[in-house]
Amino acid sequence: MDVSEILAEHARKQQAITVEKEIPLEVDAGFLTVTDTNPIDEESYKVNLEEYIQSTARDGVQVLISALFSLPTVPSPDGPLAQLPPPTTQLPRAKSLPKPKPLSKWEQFAKAKGISHRKKDRKVWDEEKQQWVNRWGWKGTNKAGEEQWLTEVPQNADIDHDPAKKAREERKARVSKNEKQHEKNMLRAQRAQGSSSAPTDQRKREIDRTLATTRVSTASMGRFDKKLEGEKKLKGVKRKFEAAEVSADTEKLQNMSILSKLDREPATKKAKGGDGVLNVRKAVRAASKGKGSAALAKESGGKKGKKVKR
Amino acid sequence: MLRTIKPKNARSKRALQAREPKEVEGPRTAIFVRGTHAGDKVQNAMKELMALKRPHAISFSKKNAVRPFEDTSSLEFWAQKNDASLFVVGQSTKKRPGGMTFVRMFDNRVFDMLEVGIEDFVSMQEFKTPKSTPGHKPLMHFASELFTTHPRLVQLKSFLLSFFNGEEIDGIHLAGLGHVVSVTLGPTPPSLSSTTSATATLGAITGDVQPQGEALPKVHIRSYTIRLLASGTRVPRVELTPMGPSLDLVLRRHQDADPELLKQALRRPKLKKQDVEKGLGKKQKNLEVDEMGDLRGKIHVAKQNLGKLQTRKMKGLKSSKEESVDVDEDDEDDEGVYADAGRKRRRTE
Repeated sequence: MDVSEILAEHARKQQAITVEKEIPLEVDAGFLTVTDTNPIDEESYKVNLEEYIQSTARDGVQVLISALFSLPTVPSPDGPLAQLPPPTTQLPRAKSLPKPKPLSKWEQFAKAKGISHRKKDRKVWDEEKQQWVNRWGWKGTNKAGEEQWLTEVPQNADIDHDPAKKAREERKARVSKNEKQHEKNMLRAQRAQGSSSAPTDQRKREIDRTLATTRVSTASMGRFDKKLEGEKKLKGVKRKFEAAEVSADTEKLQNMSILSKLDREPATKKAKGGDGVLNVRKAVRAASKGKGSAALAKESGGKKGKKVKR
Repeated sequence: MLRTIKPKNARSKRALQAREPKEVEGPRTAIFVRGTHAGDKVQNAMKELMALKRPHAISFSKKNAVRPFEDTSSLEFWAQKNDASLFVVGQSTKKRPGGMTFVRMFDNRVFDMLEVGIEDFVSMQEFKTPKSTPGHKPLMHFASELFTTHPRLVQLKSFLLSFFNGEEIDGIHLAGLGHVVSVTLGPTPPSLSSTTSATATLGAITGDVQPQGEALPKVHIRSYTIRLLASGTRVPRVELTPMGPSLDLVLRRHQDADPELLKQALRRPKLKKQDVEKGLGKKQKNLEVDEMGDLRGKIHVAKQNLGKLQTRKMKGLKSSKEESVDVDEDDEDDEGVYADAGRKRRRTE
């Protein structure tokens, strides 16, 4: 049997889809990209630009397509999907990497103890009703105790014992406890992030400041006050002086900032909304008897209307 | 600066969540900004680039007084407002006619910028050929050695990649590959080619080298539709048809990324455990997947010490009792020596 013909046929087929270049092309299948690092042929570039570009592009695309068609595929409803490898080129991200969410106190505990999270289903099977019902929320099973038409009353119950009310209060207490815990977790997370804008921190700073003020608010400015044990010495604000010699740039910046301040309209004047001689806001208030400019305009407009009628 | 918004309902919460940074990012949205004086050529070029970029493109078609290289505040504002991370600003001046500035953002701040001048522009409409389907991913083709060596062109390549193709995907439908964006450079000038780089640096020292913008070759951007012809093998033969738009660009001003920002932007998410097991990330030693798709491991065992091998126990092979008694009765000082000797003996066995 002569196979040379078959071989020749195969070789011819292969020839149509192979590209020969001096430097092999770099294919980044993840980004569907091919880079041809062969030097540009100056002669053919000058002779016929479009044709040259198209022929190089064809060669490059042929290599890329061959690489893509040789990738493993998985079937999908729309047809086979080629599995792309991760890209080799590194592109900068558009946004920074997301920060890991801070753990709640329970999550920390569970992690330390090795307790794995088990997600509860939203719905539970109700044997009586023979259907799926919400665990909480609308017609939730957690409200079952509040909706019974008949409840057993214990022997030693108070005279005003209301089982439905009691169940409801218990549920509400659980909800509020959860909310409190959530709030605390948020606060802890905020503090862990290092931001000092947490409400408790602010409060602490306020108290410290008030304490410092009261300590120097006696006639002797706190000199003859009784000292408590462990009380720290008050530190005053130290005066700071600029260096005598600064670089020309900083000096320029300082002076420019002063000049720009001088140039600006003062904030108090701006708020008053006048040129200093007449306080417009005050005048409007006086003229409208405290009702504002809109009322004043309405009033004058109304008068005009009446005149026309007459 | 926008104030931080606390969502009041589930819909706005979802919308805000969609804007939050993600581990694996989707395609970048581009805003096409018309400058104060854009001119026909620039406007048409932007329109057609936008046609290629759709649906992730927003057009700012009114005149905008923006100068990206002087003041970036409005770009940053727009980026935040529209959740976009790419800008194309068209502005034509007497000094820089037909200018287009590509701006890339990171965390709503300007990451890097690249200005190009349009030398020649041929619209899509001038090619009476079939066009690609909007929303399909293009293939990219870059041709020149400078794309791997010259920093300006590496930046250009990175830019165009993130413009057209910057989304990591794990699978693609091969029948949907319809068009290719090809970026070819003009012939590399001798001052930049690697063979004469030594002379080029020498020239730079003496200071008689051309300004860099002049020396860089032209950039030809072409787009083609792909026809896949049966070749008799699994891999089809490729034919290209010009689709347009085609642009000839010169590189102008640029602003590189801040190194600190670059470091942040190139950070990769930690790989999941199962991905690492699959062989992503670090190169896995001694693991391979065979033809059947089974994972095969290779275990290297240290050289076996056959002397230690426990064979059948026999009375005759046991060390005699007296010997061991002798050792026990010895002085403490000597014990160490004996023990050492014993160890040595074991080693030589």
